[in-house]
Amino acid sequence: MSSLEKNRADHKRYKEDVKREGKPFFPYALFHDSFMQVVVVAVIIGLATIWKWTAEDVGGGTNPGLLGSLYEEKADPGSTSFVPRPDWYYYFLFYLLRIFKWPDSVILGTVGIPTILLMLLLALPFIDRRRERHPLRRPVAMIAGILVIVAMGTLTWKGATAKEAVASESASAVPTWAAKQGFANDPVAMAGATLFAQSGCLTCHVYTGSGGANLGAPELTAEGSKGLGIDWQIKHLECPSCVTPGSPMPAFKALGADNLKKLATFLEASKGAK
Amino acid sequence: MATRKSPRQQQVEAALLYPVDWLDERTGIRAGLQYFLFRNVPRDTNWMQTLGAATLTAFLVQAVTGVILAMYYKPDPNSAYESIKHITNDVTLGWLVRGMHRWGASCFIILMFLHMGRVFLFGAYKYPRELTWIIGVMLLALGMIEGFTGYLLPWDETAYWATVVGINIQANGPFVGPFIGSILKGGAEIGPETLARFYSLHMLAIPGGLMALIGIHLFLVVRLGITSPPWSPVAAGRERDGEEAPTADRVGLVEPTPRGSASQGVEK
Repeated sequence: MSSLEKNRADHKRYKEDVKREGKPFFPYALFHDSFMQVVVVAVIIGLATIWKWTAEDVGGGTNPGLLGSLYEEKADPGSTSFVPRPDWYYYFLFYLLRIFKWPDSVILGTVGIPTILLMLLLALPFIDRRRERHPLRRPVAMIAGILVIVAMGTLTWKGATAKEAVASESASAVPTWAAKQGFANDPVAMAGATLFAQSGCLTCHVYTGSGGANLGAPELTAEGSKGLGIDWQIKHLECPSCVTPGSPMPAFKALGADNLKKLATFLEASKGAK
Repeated sequence: MATRKSPRQQQVEAALLYPVDWLDERTGIRAGLQYFLFRNVPRDTNWMQTLGAATLTAFLVQAVTGVILAMYYKPDPNSAYESIKHITNDVTLGWLVRGMHRWGASCFIILMFLHMGRVFLFGAYKYPRELTWIIGVMLLALGMIEGFTGYLLPWDETAYWATVVGINIQANGPFVGPFIGSILKGGAEIGPETLARFYSLHMLAIPGGLMALIGIHLFLVVRLGITSPPWSPVAAGRERDGEEAPTADRVGLVEPTPRGSASQGVEK
């Protein structure tokens, strides 16, 4: 018998068995399903209630309760506190981007791996064509499944606990940066450094040991040694993806020409820590 | 005792049943419902196999609470954030509806993954249920996109910047990537057009797609039947040592139950 014929025979036998010795969906299976449905609704109502009643309203926003605050601050496109954080079920993708380095391989993390995973999932029934269903007799499938769960779980956990750069802490590091880089006497670069520390750049970029290395952002400690020039830096800040196609960095045009000049001067003055 | 109905009773009965008969004549709904409710499922199905129904429930919670939220929500950068506050603080039970929608989304995602894990463990994606699995994966992807589009709607700081980066990453993709990116954005910057587009996708396009796919998914589940746990000694479709016909191996476990008396010997 070919495997397709065996499959068909299996399913025919399945249908006969179910017809002969099965139980009717109503009421048996439906009872289990309905019980579970009540549990799901109850859990959702419970979460909503705990969320609301443990978070306290304070002025404009709220203090976080057991399940977080009721609302964050209102979005401000011109704001300088840039903290991109997706919903928790995207953490694994979010953290995946830390593993890849801009610009060579970051596309693997943003598009490559998620697409490949999705394709593999879609194709699973055609990859695993054996008739065997018992988990213990499908070691390859089980090990692959466990590895995927462990990997996604770890990435989600790492994403959830990833440290965020705090603007005030970063700002206090500016004199250290200036000493290391030797731009303490340049007031424009100093102003740019403060702006850099406060604008959330360190959420993604690393600068002389501070910052996050998120989303595949390059380290900027020695950005000035690349010889790109202040004009290039300003253009890049205004529209990153116009200058380096494919860059996920947001545009910072909203900061204004004056501030961008300061930032660019600071970046060009960063020749690498001594 | 044969009770003969009076002509009057017969008339009333006929009048009451008329709409049902009318509908059944045109749709065949009676036979359909009968099949749906009284079809047999394997006798050894277990609690893990309620995860699909649980996922469907979470989706329905999202649908109902979403409709209510849409009555109060304003998809415009100047008033979106305030309308969420209004829903949370002023509207009667608004906090509950918003909270259920927010936490229901997480439950929906978790349940989709658990349901998928169960199907994987049971090997239930194999012949002839491949298409059911594929549609399930599409549902998972669409569900995640639904989460992404909904995340922006409260128009708060975290969501705004996460969406900026999310769209930038999308625009990175090869071939159609930049095209999808610019459609999502609706302009040079993320602003009113982006919010309107996310709102429309989140409210109309994606839920429509989800419902259609859920319909096909359920149709296939009913048509193909649900699997027995593969380790069950009485799994439906198990291979017998001897010939195909039911033999002595079943005696003592359960009596072969004719339709209608299936409760005998059924544990669950």
